[in-house]
Amino acid sequence: MGGFTKENVLAAKRGYTYRITRRQFLVATSAAALAACAPAAVTPGASGSPAATPGKALKIGQLLPFTGVYAELGNSMRRATELYLKQNDQKIANRPVTIVYEDDTNVTATGIQKTQKFIDQDQVDVMLGVVPTPLAYGIRNAVHAAKLIFIDTNAGGNALTRDTPDCKPACKSPYIFRSSFSSYQISYPIGDYLSAKGTKEFFLAYANYGFGTESAADFTTGLKKNGGSVTGNVAPPLGNADFAPFVTQIKNQPTKNVYSFFSGADAIGFIKTWNQLGLPAAGYKMYGAGFLTEQDVLKEVKDLANGAITSLFWAVELDNAENKKFVADFQKQYPLLPDVFAVQAYDGMTALGEALKKIGGDTSDKDKLVKALEDVSFKSPRGDFTFDKTTHNPIQDIYLREVKTQGGQTVNTILDKIAKVTDPGK
Amino acid sequence: MSPELLFQQALNGLSFGALLFILAAGLSLVFGMMDVINLAHGAFYMLGAYVALTVVQRTGSFWLALVAAPSALGLLGLVLEPLLLRRLRGRHLDQVLLTIGVALVVVDQIGLVWGREVRSLPFPPGLDASIAIFGSVYPVYRLFVIAFGVVLAAAISVVYRRTKLGMLIRAGVQDAEMLGALGVDIDRLFAITFAVGAALAGLAGVIAAPVFGMQPGMDSDGLLYSLIVVVVGGLGTLGGAVAGSVLVGPIDTFGKVLFQDFALALIFAIVALVLLLKPTGLLGRVRIAR
Repeated sequence: MGGFTKENVLAAKRGYTYRITRRQFLVATSAAALAACAPAAVTPGASGSPAATPGKALKIGQLLPFTGVYAELGNSMRRATELYLKQNDQKIANRPVTIVYEDDTNVTATGIQKTQKFIDQDQVDVMLGVVPTPLAYGIRNAVHAAKLIFIDTNAGGNALTRDTPDCKPACKSPYIFRSSFSSYQISYPIGDYLSAKGTKEFFLAYANYGFGTESAADFTTGLKKNGGSVTGNVAPPLGNADFAPFVTQIKNQPTKNVYSFFSGADAIGFIKTWNQLGLPAAGYKMYGAGFLTEQDVLKEVKDLANGAITSLFWAVELDNAENKKFVADFQKQYPLLPDVFAVQAYDGMTALGEALKKIGGDTSDKDKLVKALEDVSFKSPRGDFTFDKTTHNPIQDIYLREVKTQGGQTVNTILDKIAKVTDPGK
Repeated sequence: MSPELLFQQALNGLSFGALLFILAAGLSLVFGMMDVINLAHGAFYMLGAYVALTVVQRTGSFWLALVAAPSALGLLGLVLEPLLLRRLRGRHLDQVLLTIGVALVVVDQIGLVWGREVRSLPFPPGLDASIAIFGSVYPVYRLFVIAFGVVLAAAISVVYRRTKLGMLIRAGVQDAEMLGALGVDIDRLFAITFAVGAALAGLAGVIAAPVFGMQPGMDSDGLLYSLIVVVVGGLGTLGGAVAGSVLVGPIDTFGKVLFQDFALALIFAIVALVLLLKPTGLLGRVRIAR
């Protein structure tokens, strides 16, 4: 695009090319060279982590997917980050904020390289982001070793905030916090809740990958606590295109209550096929982890999802002052409703902001910042937000929601709340 | 597996197979004529689905989209062949590499124009219902997909065998150079072939959109499945595309349900087996190295 500046086009029309003379080139390059030397001269012996005093730029690395299947999640989290900064005059604790965004391209190896770039080259003060659990597990050791404070704003794999034998597949670190959820939190409570209310038998349908199987297992544990049981399962591969074979299997077994774990395109395919094959008429009822019926899915399937009961720590309809302000501000900034991923990123930034305000914006002492984050407590759009001091996973309320179409809009209506759900990690 | 369940899953497999046929036919046609594996085929499939989305949003007509999207893709093919592929004629590997480039550009443009959220196309009115067969309800749309696949295969077969264009394509597949020496405008024939291939990919995109939805990454899924079909069935022949899709559709369906932990491995195991026993595919013709 740079080639089509006005000068260039004009020059081309006149029949000559726009050239840089040797003298202009020399002037430009030596100026650039001088500029490159300048910072080194100001901070002699640039030591990797120059003492950060308030007023100095705060550098935050955000590792998100901007291409591939999860691109829209990355976009949403970026929007929320920028909304937070706009609300706070682009400053946190009186330090101007620079965000370095990197695209993990939905490839774990690329994400790990970009994390290393944050550590070695960008020398960011704090890191946020990460959508897929395998990537979060993949960067855990590098982040821990570099003592880089990392706030996970999506990946929900349980192990990231737990003490696990031999740290496999990952384990908690003092430097890792999570502003989203653990898969336990969105799966166990609903199993426990439903079986306690008398719905005890379930058939499972979940995407056959780490997070789907983990969610199904946690749901089963919750169910069994009150004498519930699982009668069978189907597990399509992640990103499965055709759901008819699996829904056909569901339809040919007798258990009417089906708990499912799907998100995005999989959720749309599952819900559409569920209706096409006539499961609602045959008496089957859909339950699931909240991502099954989030806005990205509901805006495509609309009333086809009516009656589905899911659990999540937030819903756009949630009735509290912070959520109303968040939704209104978000809509003022962008022509769309915020989604749960936006809330996760927004809370990640808020938690960081609150912690830094308490310690005067000082990021040089990592342990002090860890302590400040552990003590953070604020009102989030999802309700009260605090980190569990043992695991650094959020302690949060889980909402039971039912999909309903009201006044032409299909929404998650809140049925009930399970207060202060804490991940059982030690 | 009860007989009813078996029957329902067979229908699922066949309708998936019918879709795979529509998708793979274009890839196979282009390869047969031009000796080029068009790795942009998946991107064309994706573009077809998104064009259909816009047409349906603007006009509300699925049937218009079913004509408009393949036409748009055909035009794109008609432009791309002379503009890019023709310049590398005879350098097959370079051409394949070029199609990867085309795929990347097309997919990125789709992201810019339509965004990267997951989307879905509503079922066309009249085909959105389900009807009772053998004591169970089955979606009309999936039956429509089976019928559409059969009709398309028959139509392609008639064009192949009974029309002048079909004759030229068959001759071109045998020996394009000789055909040129006989006075046939090979440039035009290649451009038309590539355009028809792209149009078929677009058509598959429209047909698939109501069932599978649209999202980033659907291009590589589409490409992968069409490659599996043509490798199993045999590249470059209509019979090969039919045989491949009729096999791969049901195997994929039953495999995913019966061996769900090996769902993806199973289909590749079949591919490996076919390649071991019959490297040209089930109905592939023996190629003379040129």
